[in-house]
Amino acid sequence: MDMEEGPSKTPQNTRHETIQVGNTLLLKLPSGDIKTWKLEKDSTANLGKFGSFYANELVGQPFGLTYEIVDKKLKAVSPRTLQEVEDTEATNELINDGQFVQPLTSEEIEMLKKSGLHASEIIKKQIEQHANYSLKTEYSKEKYKKRKEAKYSKSFTVVDPTVFNVCDYWFNKDQNRLRDIRPDALGQILNLANIRPGGRYLAVDDASGIVVAGMLERLGGTGRLITVCDVDSPPAYPALVHMNFTKEVTQVLSSLNWATADEDYIPITPPSEPAGKIKSDAQKSRLNKRKAVSETLNQTREELFAGEFDGLVVASEYDPFSILQNLSPYLAGSANIVVHSPYIQIVTDLQNQLRNLPQYLGAAVTEMWLRRYQVLPGRTHPFMNMSGSGGFIMHTIKVYDPS
Amino acid sequence: MWSTAREIAAGDLVIVWLTRDAVQPLVITPGKELNGKYGVYRHSDLIGVPYGSKIGSRNGRGFIHVLRPTPELWTLALPHRTQILYIADIAFVSSWLNIKPGSRIIEAGTGSGSFTHSVARAIGPAGHLWSYEFHEARVNKAREEFSCHGMDDIVTLTHRNVCKDGFTVLDTVDAVFLDLPMPWEAVEHAKKALRKDRTTRICCFSPCMEQVLRTVTALNDAGFTDITMYETLLRPHQVDSVPALPHIGQVSEKLKKAEQKREEKRLRQIANSRASAAGKRKRPGDADESDGGRAEGSAGKRPKTDDEDDVLQHEDGQLPQAENHPSGRSAGAAETEEAKFPQSVTESATPTKTTFSKTFPEVRGHTSYLTFACLLPAIPSAQADPATQEPVPSD
Repeated sequence: MDMEEGPSKTPQNTRHETIQVGNTLLLKLPSGDIKTWKLEKDSTANLGKFGSFYANELVGQPFGLTYEIVDKKLKAVSPRTLQEVEDTEATNELINDGQFVQPLTSEEIEMLKKSGLHASEIIKKQIEQHANYSLKTEYSKEKYKKRKEAKYSKSFTVVDPTVFNVCDYWFNKDQNRLRDIRPDALGQILNLANIRPGGRYLAVDDASGIVVAGMLERLGGTGRLITVCDVDSPPAYPALVHMNFTKEVTQVLSSLNWATADEDYIPITPPSEPAGKIKSDAQKSRLNKRKAVSETLNQTREELFAGEFDGLVVASEYDPFSILQNLSPYLAGSANIVVHSPYIQIVTDLQNQLRNLPQYLGAAVTEMWLRRYQVLPGRTHPFMNMSGSGGFIMHTIKVYDPS
Repeated sequence: MWSTAREIAAGDLVIVWLTRDAVQPLVITPGKELNGKYGVYRHSDLIGVPYGSKIGSRNGRGFIHVLRPTPELWTLALPHRTQILYIADIAFVSSWLNIKPGSRIIEAGTGSGSFTHSVARAIGPAGHLWSYEFHEARVNKAREEFSCHGMDDIVTLTHRNVCKDGFTVLDTVDAVFLDLPMPWEAVEHAKKALRKDRTTRICCFSPCMEQVLRTVTALNDAGFTDITMYETLLRPHQVDSVPALPHIGQVSEKLKKAEQKREEKRLRQIANSRASAAGKRKRPGDADESDGGRAEGSAGKRPKTDDEDDVLQHEDGQLPQAENHPSGRSAGAAETEEAKFPQSVTESATPTKTTFSKTFPEVRGHTSYLTFACLLPAIPSAQADPATQEPVPSD
């Protein structure tokens, strides 16, 4: 009875199973840098010293593989596994800095590269010529080879665009644009806000859209997400582009701004009938388009004002208390409210302001701490550098004030 | 899963919030009563009440909040059968494993079901979770609980020792989570259960470094890549609202005044004792009445102690305010202070409150090491280069 195989239907995905034309991909280079690149049909991708390749080669491929570039074509390579490093008697006692050890000049190496020699062959030549290579410890030898590979290897990896990986990419690129939302912080936000498929949520995302990306992924094309932004055009959520969401996933998102989200705001309605003479087709279609936009706006506003939303997530540069005052009336009882800030004072002040308001229950402030380890056989330890902060989170629950 | 209706109905699981540290689950059963030091409540009185309502006790003493369950509240309220996972690890693991609507996931062991509820919420009805537990009593408890929480369609619970017998699915799941004492024994089985047409993921949750090292070796041998390890914690902050910190100028002025007072007293005492030595028992001046009287009885040593007490009193209590001093002198003192510290004095005259925060004195320091790895999709054979199929030896 326990052997049943579960549902047989293929679960929907938030993006296509394989790489498609039009995807914006994150390509990890041998140097460790990540390049963002849009796959256009019949184009050629240029990765600088790491080579160039025909874009079409990637179409239909699964995400996450590593490729070697050979004559602008791609050859998927098996990932390398960790190798045990044998302990030897070698130490660095006879190795001094600044010694002349490499007779191979950079010009000669450049010639070898131009001749089309494979990276591993060039490295082999360098090792043969290296005066002190045999003195190095095995650990040091491995480091040396890795460093050289990062320089000469013509290869790249397509990063699997999970929310974690996309958030990590943006955080490392510019954590200020993400308002310090580290991947672990985003995970906490999404869990604390109880984001589930089919739920209805509000969000204020001034963090490049990373919160919206996470919420849309957790909604999976069902439920609703209304965001409020500070511009009069649809907000640019640049982090969304790397998610490569299907239309079904993004259609649950609508946006208002702080003017249109105001109940007192009176939208300027387009004239229902063209004033004066009959207009050209172009004018008519323009008018219809404007009408449609205005109708959508009104629908979204009505939906917001009708309330009963399941949660609110705030990662904003504006005063969070004013945001809560504005939006918490539209939350249902027991809705979760999550406010993230790079600064602890902002969330502690907020908690203090909410303390005496009966419609907020159990406000609490937490700080995220994350430590990553290098795991290599015989060399496991925390990384020497770690991210100092993933920001601070205030969580509270909206309750009904009986008075 | 749990009710998404606006109002509470009979049979619903609700979370009763008594205080921050007292959160308990309650299945609404008409005819039953909830009794405790927080009051008396009839279950039937909660039916039809919106989730998130504050309910007053029938005896008028105390109140509770009735909340809609979430996996996070359930983690706080659930009956512990084992050591459980908390939100910091749950959220991080879910995120790294890319658990989302429609995902197919394996979890072993089920334990107290803390992680199970969070995964079930995230994958939704389109996804599926296969959960395995080798302890029979725990399986039965968990089965009852999942059924009661409406998770039968999402979760398949199996009583099985996965290290010995493996999993019940093949080439199916997107991610595997192993919370086992010896996860390395289940790694090969996990590989079989994972689908091979896209990148899949595994997480092993182990409290000890020795376990991590063995797990890493097993993952590596099985062909998993991108092996990495994390530790994550949540540091809760205690928020206090207190008056703005006083300026040291206030202490300085206070000490100077005390010294001055002491000196005046000393001079009075000298005068008094001279007067009494001369045998003329006159009443001291009006202003000196009490001090002078006491000074006589305690042979000159008491007044000093009194003055010291005076200073201490100020330190214990609130900031010394103008009304604590005789009117004439306080005005003068305030003037000098204002001249020296114009900002601080105006502030302390109307003490503004400031919000401060600090980490709680005792916090969770370690839960487990989270070892992650990926299993990459099989390379289409036409593309594969046989030369690079084998791991490159290190020398």
